[in-house]
Amino acid sequence: MICPRCRCTEATTVAHSPVAGVWEMYSCPTCWYAWRSTEPATATDPDLYHPQFRINADDIAAAPRIV
Amino acid sequence: MQPPFDDLRGFLTALDTAKQLLRIDRPVALEPDLGAAGRAVANQDGKTAPALLFENIDGFDDARIALNVHGSWANHALMLGMPPTSTVKEQFFELEQRWQKFPVPVDRRSDAPWQEITLSQDINLFELLPVFRLNPGDAGPYIDKAAVITRDSADPNNFGKQNVGLYRMQVKGPDHLGLQSGPPHDFGIHIHAAEGMHEGLPVAIAIGNDPILTLAASTPLEYDQSEYEMAGAWRGGVPYPVVTAPYTGLDVPWGSEIVLEGEVLYQAREYEGPFGEFTGSYSGGRALPVVKVHRVHRRRNPIFEHLYLGQPWTEIDYLLALNTSVPLYRQLKQEFPEVEAVNAMYTHGLLNIISTRVRHGGFARVVAMRLLTTPHGIGYSKIVIVVDDTVDPFNLEQVMWAMTANVNPEFDAITIPRMYEIPLDPTGNPQGITTRLIIDATTPKPPDVRGEFGIPVTAYPETADWERLLKEMTR
Repeated sequence: MICPRCRCTEATTVAHSPVAGVWEMYSCPTCWYAWRSTEPATATDPDLYHPQFRINADDIAAAPRIV
Repeated sequence: MQPPFDDLRGFLTALDTAKQLLRIDRPVALEPDLGAAGRAVANQDGKTAPALLFENIDGFDDARIALNVHGSWANHALMLGMPPTSTVKEQFFELEQRWQKFPVPVDRRSDAPWQEITLSQDINLFELLPVFRLNPGDAGPYIDKAAVITRDSADPNNFGKQNVGLYRMQVKGPDHLGLQSGPPHDFGIHIHAAEGMHEGLPVAIAIGNDPILTLAASTPLEYDQSEYEMAGAWRGGVPYPVVTAPYTGLDVPWGSEIVLEGEVLYQAREYEGPFGEFTGSYSGGRALPVVKVHRVHRRRNPIFEHLYLGQPWTEIDYLLALNTSVPLYRQLKQEFPEVEAVNAMYTHGLLNIISTRVRHGGFARVVAMRLLTTPHGIGYSKIVIVVDDTVDPFNLEQVMWAMTANVNPEFDAITIPRMYEIPLDPTGNPQGITTRLIIDATTPKPPDVRGEFGIPVTAYPETADWERLLKEMTR
């Protein structure tokens, strides 16, 4: 599955709604973006994801260590 | 239900009785309904906005969400057992007076409601907790109003050094969290201590607590001062109830709705964020510590408490208002008894207003300089305004009057370059470094002789009687 934020292809399904069939949750093991199947397309669709919040491998490597 | 409250449920009942709680039983989507409702309630009148309790969450059959529990002056007053119409200044002095009871030893109990259900395997936080994306650009769901409890690995039996703090946590995977802390925070000290010993850091995360514990956990106490013993003081001297968590041995609140236990992984740092922060803008992505969750304890039908963040004011501004102001006041008062009150309510104290009697010319800026060197001021006090004792620092109309009537920018705006500050301030250049600004809005006194300041207009003493009368007549 493609991560909407960093376009890594290794995102997986990580959860199902306790009431069956309402939603699924996905998580990206590269940038740790997580999203729910029922969210607006700007959160779930790699082509429609918010441009200002997109990141890539360079952004992740350059993230400052705070503590 | 009478204060002090031992748990969140008790306080929600009190809010309900005072008509300060809205129960929402219609079905709500985790996104975007919860974040939208959090913003909407923050847009209401800050004197009277209610808490919200969502009881019908899409996809869950055993979950509830509380928002805006601290999010108005009425709720803040009810937390303290005061009338909901109490002024900000009255609540400030009530907290200051109760602080004098600190420390109050804890009430140790053997069992707790959150021990009802325990999970030690197949933990999936996305399915156990109704976590949700708060703002559109957040990296994922967060836990942002939980008490995070850790010990100093170099001094593990020191109860005062056990820390209870609020830190944002990104839910990244089923049993996997990212946690933000800066180096000066107690958590930052604890993780350095643990890593210095080449080990991970045991952690307990208590979600859904009584309001006083959350207030104490977000107060800038000294490193070895116990938040639990401060909670006892703010409960009017009633000891705070705690229970030992079984996996980590940490002391956690008796009344929590949900308790997670786990470990901050040794030397692990991962990409975290962005997250819409209390500054009103998104933090950037950072490499932050990682928590692995090993146990989940919870009540039946637990209440997941969350806090909306966005452009101020939002709930966090009420939560961090007086518990930031009072310790700064106490620290200043020790050396300058002339100080009357301190308002550090703006963006967690990035701006502060000090009201003080003025000993001599140049005095106000000395008091402001002292504020910059307090533990909280070192990281936060970017702008300090000083006004005369006749100005109520919680009354912004009066403060603006003092700024207009007393400030000559040539003399009264003092800047100090290249000072440390918290990296979350978006103006930092570079991140974590800023110029500090002191604005002396007190009336100049000799030997600082300048301007043509006339005799201040003072009212008849009978004004106080008329204030009381008018207040009674308008009730």
